Amino acid sequence: MVPLENYVALSGILFALGVYAVLARRNAILVLMGIELMLNAVSLNFAAFASYLDPDRVTGAVFAVFVITVAAAEVGLALAIVIRLFRLRATSNVDEAAELKW
Amino acid sequence: MRDYSLFVPEYIAAGAAIAIVAIELIWPRLRKDVLAYLMAAVSLGWLAASLAYLGRDPKEFMGVLVVDDFTTYFRALAAGIVFVTCLLSAQYLRRRTREASEYYGLLLTAGAGMSLMAAARELLTAYLALELLSFSLYILVGFFRRDLKSNEASLKYVLLGGFASAMLLYGISLLYGLTGNTTYDAVAEALANRSGDTDVAAIAAFVLIIAGLGFKVSAVPFHTWAPDAYTGAPVPITAFLSTASKAAGFALILRLFTNAFHTDPEEWRWLVAVVAALTIVFGNLVAIQQTNFRRLIAYSSIGQVGYMLVPVAALGYGDGEIAHAATAALLLHLTGYIISTLAAFSAFQAAYDRTGDDTIPGLRGLAETQPFLAMVITISLFSFAGLPVFAGFATKLFMFQASALPELMWLVGIAVAASFVSLYYYLMVMRQMYLFDPPEGASRFRVTPALWAAAAALMLGTIFVGAYPQPLFDAADGAASALFQEGAAPHQVRER
Repeated sequence: MVPLENYVALSGILFALGVYAVLARRNAILVLMGIELMLNAVSLNFAAFASYLDPDRVTGAVFAVFVITVAAAEVGLALAIVIRLFRLRATSNVDEAAELKW
Repeated sequence: MRDYSLFVPEYIAAGAAIAIVAIELIWPRLRKDVLAYLMAAVSLGWLAASLAYLGRDPKEFMGVLVVDDFTTYFRALAAGIVFVTCLLSAQYLRRRTREASEYYGLLLTAGAGMSLMAAARELLTAYLALELLSFSLYILVGFFRRDLKSNEASLKYVLLGGFASAMLLYGISLLYGLTGNTTYDAVAEALANRSGDTDVAAIAAFVLIIAGLGFKVSAVPFHTWAPDAYTGAPVPITAFLSTASKAAGFALILRLFTNAFHTDPEEWRWLVAVVAALTIVFGNLVAIQQTNFRRLIAYSSIGQVGYMLVPVAALGYGDGEIAHAATAALLLHLTGYIISTLAAFSAFQAAYDRTGDDTIPGLRGLAETQPFLAMVITISLFSFAGLPVFAGFATKLFMFQASALPELMWLVGIAVAASFVSLYYYLMVMRQMYLFDPPEGASRFRVTPALWAAAAALMLGTIFVGAYPQPLFDAADGAASALFQEGAAPHQVRER
C-alpha cells in the first residue's frame, strides 16, 4: 500500500503549484485554474486522511465531495464575471483591469 | 437530534429570498423601492424570530450547528444590517436597474450565511456558511452589469476570495489530518492530547486557516481586495460589506478560537498578534492618503479590524476568565462599529444620491447644503476615531482594557497610538464638509424620509452606546458566556 506521506507530499506539491499559478499568472482564467489546483490538493488531502486515519467514518470523504461541489460553483461564478468583463472591454487579463488602482 | 424548528429565522430569510424573485416575475411593473421596503419588513420579522430564541438553553443540531445566545446575537445583527441595507438601496437601485429582486434575494442569503457562520460548530458547516455569504457578496459587488468598475471589483474579489478559500480549506485539511475530526469539540480534545512539541503541520494548518479567515475580515496582508471592492460595489453594498462580512468573520473566528483552538494557543496566538499589529499600522497609515470617501472607509475599517484582532490575540494569552471578557468586549465593539458605519453610510448614501460623487472633496460644503447629513457623518467619524461620548470610545476602552495582558501591552500601545493617527484623516473629511463652500450651483436639498429616519436612528444609537453602553454590554456578555459554558470541555491549556 502506498504510504500516507506520498499522498500528503503530492498534495503539498499540487498546492504549491496552484499558489504559484495564482501569483504568477496574469490571465483571470489561468488564475482560476491555479485556484482549482489548490482545491484539488485539498480534496486529495481529505481523501487520503479519511482512508488512513479515519476509515470507519466518512467525514473526510464528505468534505472532499463538498469541496468539489463548491469549487464548481465558484468557477461558474467567476467565469460569468470574467465573461461580463470581457464583453465590456475585450480582455481577460487581470492587469488590464486597472480601473481601480490596487 | 434533528430539531428543524431551530432555524426559523433562516427559513424566513431563504424563503423570502426565493419569494421576492417570484414576486418580481409575477408583477414586473412593481416599483423597485416597494421591493426594498418589503424586504425591510421581512428582515424585521427575521429579527423578531431570532429574538424568540433569546435566553433558551443551547440546542445542537446534529452536532454541526448550535443555537445559543451567541447565535442569537449574530442573527439579530444580521437582520439589522440587512434591514438598513434595504433602506439604503431603495432609491439607489430604483434609479439604476430594472431588475432588483435578485439583489434583495442575495442580500437575504448573505445574511442567512452570516447567522449560520455564527451557529456552526463543525468545520465543513462553517466553511459552507462562509461560502454562502461570500458567493452572495461576489455577485452583489458586481451587480451593475454594465458598470466596468463594479465588474472589475467583483472579479478581483472573487479571484482573491477563491484563493483565500483554498488556503483556508488546505489548512482545514491539515487540521483534519492532525486531529482526525472536524467538529470543534473533537478538534479541541485532539489538540489538547496531541503528543510531541510544536510541529510543522500544526503551524502550517494554523497559518493557512488564519490567512483564509484574515482575508474574509480583510486583515493585512490579505486586505488588497477590500479597497477595490468597496469602491466598485454599489454604495449600499459597500455598507453591507464593511459591516456584515466583518461581523460574520468575527463570529466564525470567535467560536472557532474559543471552542476548538483554545486548548493549543501557543501555535496561533503570536500569529494573530502580529497580523493585528500589521493591520492596525497599515490600515491607518494608508488611510491618510486616500481621496475617495469609500476607499477611506475601506482603509479605516481595515484599521478597525486590527483593533478587533487584539482581543482575539488575548484569547490565546489569557485564561478562561480573560477570554470571556475579551470576547464580550469584542462583541460590544463590533456592534458599536456596525452602528457607526451604517450611520455614516446612511448619510453618505443620501449625499451621494444627490451629488453622484464619492470623493472626499465631493462632500465639500455639505454642512451648508444639508447640515443634518454632515452632522451624522461627523458623529460616526468621531465614533470611529474613539472620541468620548460616541460609541467608539466606550467600546474601544472596554476592548483594550480586556486585552491589556502583560504580553500584549505592546499591541495595545500600538492600537491606542493608531487611534490618534486616525483622527487626522477623519478630520480631513470634516474639514471638507465644514470649512469649504459648497460647489457652484449646489443648493440645499431634502433627504428621503426612509434614509433620514435610518440616519437619525443610527446616529442616536451611536451616541446612546457611547454614553450608556451598559445594556449592550450586558447583551454582549450574555452572548459571550454562551461560548464558554457549553460543552464539557473546560477552558484548559494543554500540558507540555
